[in-house]
Amino acid sequence: MDVSKFTEMFLVEAAEHLQMMVDILIQLDSDPEDRDGIDALFREAHSIKGMAATMEHAETARLAHHLEERLDVCRHLGRISGVEIDWLLEAADLLELLLSDIRNEQPERNVDNFIATIPKEGESEVSSPVEGKALDLTGHSHGQLIQLRLRETVIAPGPRFLVLLKRLADIGTILESIPSAEDLIQGGDPDQLLVRLESDASQDELHQELLKYSELQEISFPDEKEEEKETSLKKPSSGKTVRVSTELLDHFINLTGELITNRNQLQNVLKERNWKELDDGIGQLARLVKNLHHQVLQVRMVSLEGLVGRLSRTVHDLSRSHGKEIKFQVEGAEIELDRAIVEELTDPLVHMVRNAVDHGIEQSGAIFVKAWRERDQVLVQVADDGRGIDPEKIRQQALEQGLLTQTQSKSIRDYDLFQMICQPGFSTAEEVSETSGRGVGMDVVKTVVEQVGGILLIDSVLGEGTKITLKLPLSLAIIRVLIVECDGSRMAMPITRVVQTVEISPEEVQSSGKQLMVHYQDEHLPMLSLRKILKLPQGAPLDTIPLVITEVMGRKIGLVVDRLVGQREVFVQRLPAPFDQVRGCSGGTILGDGQIIFLLDLQSLFERRRG
Amino acid sequence: MSKRVLIVDDALFMRTMLRDIFVEAGWQVVAEAENGEQAITEYQAYQPDLVTMDLVMPEMGGIDALKVILNDDSAARIVVCSALGQKKMILDAINAGAKDFIVKPFQSVQVLEVVERVVMAF
Repeated sequence: MDVSKFTEMFLVEAAEHLQMMVDILIQLDSDPEDRDGIDALFREAHSIKGMAATMEHAETARLAHHLEERLDVCRHLGRISGVEIDWLLEAADLLELLLSDIRNEQPERNVDNFIATIPKEGESEVSSPVEGKALDLTGHSHGQLIQLRLRETVIAPGPRFLVLLKRLADIGTILESIPSAEDLIQGGDPDQLLVRLESDASQDELHQELLKYSELQEISFPDEKEEEKETSLKKPSSGKTVRVSTELLDHFINLTGELITNRNQLQNVLKERNWKELDDGIGQLARLVKNLHHQVLQVRMVSLEGLVGRLSRTVHDLSRSHGKEIKFQVEGAEIELDRAIVEELTDPLVHMVRNAVDHGIEQSGAIFVKAWRERDQVLVQVADDGRGIDPEKIRQQALEQGLLTQTQSKSIRDYDLFQMICQPGFSTAEEVSETSGRGVGMDVVKTVVEQVGGILLIDSVLGEGTKITLKLPLSLAIIRVLIVECDGSRMAMPITRVVQTVEISPEEVQSSGKQLMVHYQDEHLPMLSLRKILKLPQGAPLDTIPLVITEVMGRKIGLVVDRLVGQREVFVQRLPAPFDQVRGCSGGTILGDGQIIFLLDLQSLFERRRG
Repeated sequence: MSKRVLIVDDALFMRTMLRDIFVEAGWQVVAEAENGEQAITEYQAYQPDLVTMDLVMPEMGGIDALKVILNDDSAARIVVCSALGQKKMILDAINAGAKDFIVKPFQSVQVLEVVERVVMAF
């Protein structure tokens, strides 16, 4: 059987099971007698084994089999030792490498050496029934292969598969199945059923019969010959897949239906020129579009759970290797964000946590990761109760590196000083990072956060700890923007970049040398004119000056515009070539009246200005 | 012709609820039983198209009743009803010949989907 068609699905799922294993292992580390945890761990290993055996990835299946055996022993003992947890974590790393071998279409690496390192206590060696069966199944050349997968909401997967297996046995003769009826009666809860059935019923008839089971999420008839053709044509895409529940798809279908009805209604209205109904129709259209928008966003949303799992692993590993005792606490892992943002954030967050372990916490302490929603933003915070950042050291360093002048260094607030650790030149030097207390690469973290339209805030109290907060938009595609007007053109900036909008009178403007300044909440902010930045002609003096308080390169500024138009939720599109070459523009959107407006990317505008 | 069902459950509430679901869908509830022994008697008396069988009941439980019924009539179509967490019992029931199962608490659509496909099965 050529199963390569399922490689992508296998890789995605195996990675999920693997992540679960790691998460559970970390939890067990603090509660080694948690039977449910050990049971769950066993099931994860079991799932990986079954999948890998089916896909004929022998080494992966073999390693997973050994994990399962080891865990079975733990299950009977009702506890798991620290040595075993470490060994299992290493095994999880090895499994990850095996998966990457498979992904890269390389032969799997050999696991003999690793298996030889199994912790001694209570070893047992039993051959895997699943492996054997997988091979048997592939050996058959007749009969129809059927692959069934249940919805995640199905309550009793084992019994459900048993019912299906019995039903198929009524229709034909079951030559093989994974798992077998006996396995199912023993109480397994597999996530898929693979059956080779010999039957007079056609594939279509079988399909019709199986469609009666709404518990099934997937019914497929893998066909050897067709697969060979297909695999040569298309390779699995690179993991940019999203799992969508059929419930959500049903919503889309319903919504589409309603939209069609709505279109018909509006067409009718047009014919009859019935303006009262036009109003109703448009009201309904607005409601449908809002609903659709909401649902579409849902498709892209994932929770932070996977990411948090990686973080807890990082903390676990680092605290072991550094000999520190660190508690890791998570709050709000269920908060959902756009998948693209979560993917982008993974490395920065790992980095922040690593910094907290390396530089924040001295001998023992705690790291808190917290996520919460504030209107249409998500905040993610990494905090530690370690030594904190010493603003004096940063001041010194910034002076030495010429990032601050003597005068600036005296007036700068701690908040802004902390932002200096995100300056590229500031944090790359090793020695600097050690003395400054914070590590390498905060500039990278900040850049990524800003790229996804967020901002990074640093707060630290010497001797009490450090808090780094990321303010992020929910979604990359649809965001809230502030629309401003300048020389008759409208342009937008992401609301996440806006601290506040204010209107000041000309009397409030002060000057410091050539630079115009404004007093804003105990601070003197430089005032910069958007007209000037965009090289537009100077405008007529205004009675009140609209200002957008925003942050560029870690500094707050007051951006002078002609008019503040308002906030709007817009769908941002990438600019097509050659407009994508225009610096200072990160995208565009079309307003209700058909007007195209550009999204300002202040960061790059200022880089251009400096350059 | 409407399909005929025998409802077996020791709880009046569950029987009433199932009855409502069946009647609304156009089925004929030929009898109700509140334990295994009654179920066997009623089955023999009415030979219904379908039986919904609770698993845990006083006197004689669902699995024993199911075995007796199937022993007399191997074509009997029995769907077992169980509460959450009775996986072992469900497995035993299916192994003993139950055609399908429903987990309580259930919704009428789920019940009807299961019983319709069991009755329609060739």
